Amino acid sequence: MSSSTLVKKPISYNPGFLAWLAFIGLCLTIGIVSGIWVLSNGLIITNMSDNVPWGLWITIDLSAIALGAGAFTLSAIVYLFGIKRFQPIVRLAVFVGFIGYTAALLTLIMDIGRPDRFWHPWVYWNVHSVLWEITWCITLYLTIMVMEFAPVIAEARFFNRWPWVRSFAQVLHKFAPLFALLGLAVSLLHQSSLGATYGIVKSRPIWFKPSMPIMFILSAVAVGPALTMSIAIIVEWITGKKTIDQNILRTIARFSGFALLVYAYIKFWDLASSTYYAPTPAVASSLSMLNQMTPYTFGLWFIEIIIGIIIPVILFLVPQFNRKPANLVLGTACAVIGIIANRWNVTVTGLFVPLSYSPGTLYKLTPGFYSPSLIEWGVVIGILGYALLMLTLGIKYIPLFDNPEH
Amino acid sequence: MAKKKKAKAKLELSRRDILTIIAAGAGSVIAAQALTTGPLSPFSQLKQQAIEGEPTESRGHTTINHQWGMVIDLDKCIGCEYCLRTCTATNDVNPDKPWNIVVEEKSATGHTYYFSRPCLHCQHAPCVEVCPVKATFHRDDGLVVMDYDRCIGCRYCQVACPYDARKFNWQKNDYENPYIPTWGIAEVERRPRGVVEKCTFCIHRIDAGRKNGLVPGEDLDATPACVNICPVGARIFGDLKDENSRISQVIMENAVFTLREELGTLPSVFYIPPKEGV
Repeated sequence: MSSSTLVKKPISYNPGFLAWLAFIGLCLTIGIVSGIWVLSNGLIITNMSDNVPWGLWITIDLSAIALGAGAFTLSAIVYLFGIKRFQPIVRLAVFVGFIGYTAALLTLIMDIGRPDRFWHPWVYWNVHSVLWEITWCITLYLTIMVMEFAPVIAEARFFNRWPWVRSFAQVLHKFAPLFALLGLAVSLLHQSSLGATYGIVKSRPIWFKPSMPIMFILSAVAVGPALTMSIAIIVEWITGKKTIDQNILRTIARFSGFALLVYAYIKFWDLASSTYYAPTPAVASSLSMLNQMTPYTFGLWFIEIIIGIIIPVILFLVPQFNRKPANLVLGTACAVIGIIANRWNVTVTGLFVPLSYSPGTLYKLTPGFYSPSLIEWGVVIGILGYALLMLTLGIKYIPLFDNPEH
Repeated sequence: MAKKKKAKAKLELSRRDILTIIAAGAGSVIAAQALTTGPLSPFSQLKQQAIEGEPTESRGHTTINHQWGMVIDLDKCIGCEYCLRTCTATNDVNPDKPWNIVVEEKSATGHTYYFSRPCLHCQHAPCVEVCPVKATFHRDDGLVVMDYDRCIGCRYCQVACPYDARKFNWQKNDYENPYIPTWGIAEVERRPRGVVEKCTFCIHRIDAGRKNGLVPGEDLDATPACVNICPVGARIFGDLKDENSRISQVIMENAVFTLREELGTLPSVFYIPPKEGV
């Protein structure tokens, strides 16, 4: 039993930590108030409409899942490819993934019109639906992550009183490689299906392309591990305790940098084919409408590329930059902003272009408009508060950085 | 010694273990499917009825062999909006978000005509494909219908419909309906908050009428309200599978088109184009 190493120490409530807790409490209060407001009044108090039925929440939903991708990427690296060097970060990665996925489910519950029927996809199956597959994969993957994580939670001092929990957790731990494998399969499926959610919609010309799922999964694989890496660095800054070997973190940064380059490569060809080589008339007119009549012009694509890809790639890959942890955190921040901006742009641009099903050639349609209401932001702040609370609790009470294998 | 063996087993996962786990997993998935939507489900009977529409007939010697469709003659349409009004009254739709729209349009030569659009009841309906819970589905008679008790309100169908035929209930439906009773009375319930709704081809009329031996498209009581009220007969309703029905004759005799044919959705609503310069 390793409890001899766990020295009981008084919990310190320094002013900084109290302020942090107060901040989280404020976020959660805003979120809960907004959530109750939405549930009692209906989605009418959001700025979504029949023209733009999806908005900020679906963006946060997709981003949270993409940012949780570190869990399956790093688990696969350790358990599937057998690169045991990265073992120390897997726990943190799975924990961050768990937070991301639960945050996404929370947002989704707010977003659907009938939250009381959230369980329907599990009972009423439509195997042809991408969204059904995503719901199932997310649920399965959450279960897998809980199984993967149970042994870690069982190590907490709290469970000293029930030894059977520990022994059960050890049995679960035996299956860790299997969980990682299952998790990999399920993750590969749904991370790309999130892109397919848009990619299969033939009514929306600028979504309807086979590159959608590929771009979604590549960006998730690139940014997910980077986020885990940065959280490890930030935790080290705040607690002052050594968390994970700097070399491992740097290697993850390099991995993310290269993955971002692959993402950029696909994104470049996607751009070339949809604007230069093979734009269908519908795509061409949609893009010109976006350029002329909405703020979503070609310039935004450049911002997404520069902030979301080029800056992080430089910070992650150039040796003189990636030696400094601060640069890695900065790079991650840019990449995270990039991925959220990407999900937002994909969602709203596709919906802003009106459906031109009518044969009347001179029938002019105006583009849709959407900007999130305060209540929508309130819910998002609440979700952020939830993520930060989970992270804080996890770092304080779960042995995320202890590694029994060393 | 036994202890030693146990300790070893903890570290390794034999092939048999993995196979057992996979088999157990697959087994539970199959069991879950059978119990929820499969043949063992207590709901299966209900669901079957909902999909087939008329269970009594499907069990007898006559099987359902219909495909309800509509022809809209853009050349005849005068843009009076009667169809919109009676639809809004009959189905008690929010007047601000009609199921059946009428808009003025111009052809390439500048000739004005009126375009109207119900739900097209596509045979390859994108909305049916994307719904995660089968709340919108095909009946055997080709109609695309909604189960308002099953819809979770994710609005994916609204995003996927190429024809903008679906409306979401963003709030509780307590609107005034100015078209009642002048243009008809409400024949169906208002939809609850948080679900998607759309034109049903007046499914309640078709089903009730057929139970009484009426023929949709010929008998008024079994025909959609918008078709009955049209003062110029621009809308024709009937069975696309019946070669002798009026609708099939009209489709054969006229150069008809469907909306956004290139998407392959195979709508059940056909349009006769306007003649230029009339």
